[in-house]
Parts: sequence; structure tokens; C-alpha cells
Amino acid sequence: MKYHVVTLGCQMNKSDSERLSKVIEDMGFTWTDIEDEATLLGVVACSVRQKAIDKVYTKIYKWNKAKNNRNLITFVSGCVLPADREKFLKQFDLVFQMSELTQLPAMVSQYGVAGPFRLNSAVGLFQQTEATPNVGADFQTLKFDNKVTITGQPVMMKKPDKKIESFWDIKPLYNSDFEAFVPIQNGCDKFCTYCAVPYTRGREISRPSGEIIEEVKSLADKGFKSITLLGQNVNSYGRDKKGEEITFAQLLEKIGNYGDNCGKGFWLYFTSPHPQDMTDDVIEAISRHKCLAKQIHLPLQSGDDKMLIHMNRSHSLAGYRNIVNTIRRLLPEATLFTDIIVGFTGETDEQFENTCKAMEEFRFNMAYIARYSPRPGATSSRWADDIPHAVKKDRLHRLSSILQAHSLELNKKMVGCEYKVLVIQADRKKGYLSGLTEGKIIVRFASDRPGLTGKFVKVKITSAADFAIEGELTGVYSEVNECVAL
Amino acid sequence: MAESFGVNAILADQLRPEIIYRVHNVTNLTGSAFILRFDRNGLEFAPGQHITLGLPGDNQLREYSVYSPANVDYLEVLVKEVESGSVSRKLKNLQPGDIIKVDGPFGFFVPDKTKLFSAKHLFIATGTGIAPFHSIALSYKDFDFTILHGIRYANEQYGKADYPPERYISCVSREEGGNFHGRVTDYLLKNSAGSDTLVYLCGNYEMIHAVYDVLVTNGLSPDNIRTEVYF
Repeated sequence: MKYHVVTLGCQMNKSDSERLSKVIEDMGFTWTDIEDEATLLGVVACSVRQKAIDKVYTKIYKWNKAKNNRNLITFVSGCVLPADREKFLKQFDLVFQMSELTQLPAMVSQYGVAGPFRLNSAVGLFQQTEATPNVGADFQTLKFDNKVTITGQPVMMKKPDKKIESFWDIKPLYNSDFEAFVPIQNGCDKFCTYCAVPYTRGREISRPSGEIIEEVKSLADKGFKSITLLGQNVNSYGRDKKGEEITFAQLLEKIGNYGDNCGKGFWLYFTSPHPQDMTDDVIEAISRHKCLAKQIHLPLQSGDDKMLIHMNRSHSLAGYRNIVNTIRRLLPEATLFTDIIVGFTGETDEQFENTCKAMEEFRFNMAYIARYSPRPGATSSRWADDIPHAVKKDRLHRLSSILQAHSLELNKKMVGCEYKVLVIQADRKKGYLSGLTEGKIIVRFASDRPGLTGKFVKVKITSAADFAIEGELTGVYSEVNECVAL
Repeated sequence: MAESFGVNAILADQLRPEIIYRVHNVTNLTGSAFILRFDRNGLEFAPGQHITLGLPGDNQLREYSVYSPANVDYLEVLVKEVESGSVSRKLKNLQPGDIIKVDGPFGFFVPDKTKLFSAKHLFIATGTGIAPFHSIALSYKDFDFTILHGIRYANEQYGKADYPPERYISCVSREEGGNFHGRVTDYLLKNSAGSDTLVYLCGNYEMIHAVYDVLVTNGLSPDNIRTEVYF
């Protein structure tokens, strides 16, 4: 039995998928890259953009057509808004939230694929009713909602254990043997007006710090080189526990202490923090520990205070500036990345100009710039999407040009210096490998040693381009993090 | 926060223990505005925060600022019935004993406690945006605040009797009858906020933007302004 999962959207979804794969493979399925070979097909959906949701509809249309020729089960999970969920219930065989993942084997089993179908034997999930004493192969649709529909007869089932904690207990199948993502939190309490995440993932819940630290230790011991703590607002970590959990800065401190003394070289990143919660102690912790990567992704979204209010961002430009100043002071070598939305509802030329000025001021190494598009479910979807497409496009182009100039300027400063680089993959340029510096600047260098992938090397930078740099391999780091010159 | 249309929350039930919240009563203030009072069940909140409300069997939740103070054993929200709203109309028709779904509290629109008793506070709201300020004003004693309330008609002076008269200024735009005839922006153009005042704005974003411009033009630092956009 083979399975194939399409994962859409952010790193959180990709991380969730690693746990999903573990559960599916434990059921006896094996991965296939070819959809047509799979008997279990799923999507981990993303609701940030309509385009991503449209992809889900495209997939299920295709898969449902394929059902005419072969038996297969389809499922959807991930970030799904209630309105879409209602529609998916009619099209997919299984619809569940990630917090329900531990129940997936029972769901698939009930569906009749992984074992004999007996409705009333399913690990306490279902209650047999008079209407459905012996339902077998004619079972049509299982909705992991609050009922199942069997040949038109609804059967109520017990509410499953939907705690996200049980999801975190699953050991993931990491997609890489040197890069890993560790979820530390689920949900969001910020209610930014353009975002639907609080309505798809629910409220912020912090994973126990002990588990996080153990997972990081385990990854480091296995030789993982790049470990990223994941959450919608990582730096509000622990606040939902009202004093019964450590803060994000304390979590970094603990990981930093371990990393500095474990004899293993790794870089620890986190994404995404929210400026509102970016306290000095977080930056101070990063400054104290070598393993805490000097790369900060700090979403700005807009450089105009009124736009920030409109977006319900709960921070001002001045507040953001204070954080950047602290980063520059305590982490002078750190690279700074950001997210920006152009063309948000009502954004005037003047307000956009303020964002341009902010881009000039902060000189980001990288910015992920998005044209605003309303997402049903997010508050701003009620407001007019009143900035013409052409204007959004122009604004995107303008900001991209500013970013490009800054990136090139910053990259040029790296020429002539040596950097530790994590080799990620073979480069598109034949005979080259590419990797990332600690600051996540892309580096390519000539090498005929594909075995260096996943290892730290030393590269002397020889030239710079807009968003990448090129250099010569000068050394390779051993597993105990000592560099051997070539 | 006020009602946010089209917004649902599907995870609320799974993340909180299921606690039964029963309605105490609905008090109509105007033809469309009403106070919904219900069980608190020990829910802890900071005055200024919001909660989400919904009805059993309906996965739609809406955000409302808590209207009641922190020191009473019930919760209240101030609701404006919206013609196209699918939740507010149902809330208005609730009867004593009916069950509602409550989740929260959420939000960061709360007074800075380090400055609560040392700074002057100006709370500016339009309509039901006064809800968080009602909760704040009644929760803390002996702090310096003024509420500037923008409304269209004089009968929309929600909770006026709950404040010392000198601390509540209504700006009525469409008829005579309040403390000031005109919009809150008109009032602020004639009565500048002191540069050391902490200003809290709650209402729709058009009002917030307009007031923000007036305040900053008059010399107030943006750092002194806190906002809560009502949806």
C-alpha cells in the first residue's frame, strides 16, 4: 500500500506533514512520488491564499475522477477554514484536524482499507446504533467531525482526544537528515486582520519545554545541523501557560546552554516572531550562545503606523525600530529578514512610501513581499480590496528593487571573507554545490563532492550577486565541529 | 472586539474544557444595542480584553470586548445588532438559562499597569467601542481617565450613569443632547490632549485613523496611542 501527500503552505504545514508521514507509515503504507500509484492520497491544506485552496479543489477533483478506476482513500487536513471544511466534507473521504492525527489509523481502518471493517470495534471511537448494527463495505463516507454518515445514516461518535499535545507526541519522519523543524506552539492569538490563522489553527498553545528541548537534543545528537523552532508567534511561547511554563527567552537560553556544550555543531533558528513580543531578553539570549543563529526574521508588514493599526499588528514603526536597534547593537553580524504586504485595503501612496522609507532604513537582507489578497475568514475580507492589481504590482516591484539593491550591497561586503556554510544541495550550475551561511545567505561554490551535502564547510567569498554569493571551498568541518583546511 | 463577520472558529471547543455558560439576561439599551449578561465561571480576564461568543451547534464565533468589570461574578458584553449579522441577532433573542459558547480571553488592549496611576488616560470610542473602557473604568479605582464617546444619537450614551459625570464626554453628531455636538475629531480639534496623555482608541478603523491624525498633528507621540480596531 502506498501513499502520497501534497503539502501546501508554510513550514508549519511541512513540519506537520512529517508527523503525518510517521503515522501513515506506521500503518504499513510506503511513500510514492507518483500519485497514480497511491491508495491513500491526502492534502495538508493552507488557507493563507485562495490560490492554495484552489489547488486543493483541483486535486480532489482529479482524485475523485480516479476513483472510477481504482480504490483509494482521500483526506484533507492542515489549515482549513470552516467554510472550506464544509465543502471538503462532501468531497474528501476523511477530513480531520492535525490535533486528531493520532486517530487517523482508526479512521482509515474503519474505512476498510487497513483491515476488516467493523464499525463498532474502532478503539472506542464509535457507538453502534440500531440503525447501523452491521455496516460493511457499503460504508460511504467517514467524516471525522462529530458524526459519520453511512449510507445516509448518521452515527454519532465519541469526541476523540483532539488535544494538540497528542500530536506533538508523534515522532516525525524528518524529510532531511540535516535540517529539521520543531514545532513549539500551535495557533495564534494575535488576530491580525488580514490573517485567518486564528480561525484555522485556533488559540495559541505552547508545547511543553521539556519535550522541545529533548527533541532538539535528539536532533543535535543525530547530527542535524539546522534546527528551526516553529510557531505562529514563537516569541509569545509559554504565555498561554500563565507562569507555569518558561518564556521563549528562557527556552532559547536552555537550548543555547546545551548547544554550546554538547560538542555538536548546529544552528538553531526560530520563525516567526511577532514584534510585539520581541523582548530584549530574546536578543540577549541569542547574543550569548554560539549555536543560536544570528539570523532574525522579524515581520514588519507595513512601514506606516496607520496601516499597522489597520492590520491590528499591535506594534508601531517606532517599536519595530527599537527592536532593530537592539538587534544591531547586540548582534551586529545578524542578518535581518522580514515580511511585507503591499496593497492592503486602503493603503495610500503616502502610506506605501512610508514602507519604502522603512525598507531603506532597515536595509533587510531578505524580504518576503506579498501583494495583498483577501482571504475569506480573515477580518479584512469584509473590507474593500480597493487597491488595483496594477498598483499592487508596481508597489511589489518597487519594494523588490529596493530589497535587491540592499541585498547586493550587503552581499558585496562579504566578498573576501570566509564563512561557515551548511551545504544544502547540488546547485543548478553544474559542478557546484549550494548552501547557506548562518545568516541564511545563499552561497554557491565549485565542488565535485556531493557527499558534502548536510555538512558544514568553510567558503571564502569571491563574488556577490543580488540574492546570493559565490566562493571557493577552503575547509570542511568534522562532526565535532572542527574545521579542517583543504 | 466587536462582531467580526464571516469569522468562524473551529478549534475553540477542543482547546478549552467544556464549561457551561448560561445566559442571565439581555438588557436592551436602544433598538439595536443590548447588554448580554451570562455566567463568568471563574473566567479570568484583564479589563480591556475580548472574548468570543457563539451558540451551541453553530461553529460561528464572534469577538466581543468584555463590558463588565473584573470584580463581579458575571460577564457582560455590549452588542450592536447587525442586520446582516448571523450571531448578534441570535444573541439578542437569548432567554435566561440559554447556553452559549464562550472562549478567551484574548487581546492586548489593556492599560499599562506601570502607568495606570501616574498617567492621564484618554479613552476614545465610537458606539459600542466603549465596551472595553467601561470594563477598565469600573475595574480600577482612583486613576485619571476621561472617556470621549462618539455617537450619532443621545440615547447611545451606553453606561453613562456608571461613570463620574466629569469623566464622560459624549460627542453626539446627528442631534443635540450630549456634552458636545459633533464628532470626536471635532472635539479634539478644539480640546487638545496633553502631550503626556495615554490615548486609547477603540472603534472602526476610519475613526481611529482620523483621530490618530488629529492627535499626532497636535503633537502627541504615536507611542502614546493604543488602538483596538472594531471589526
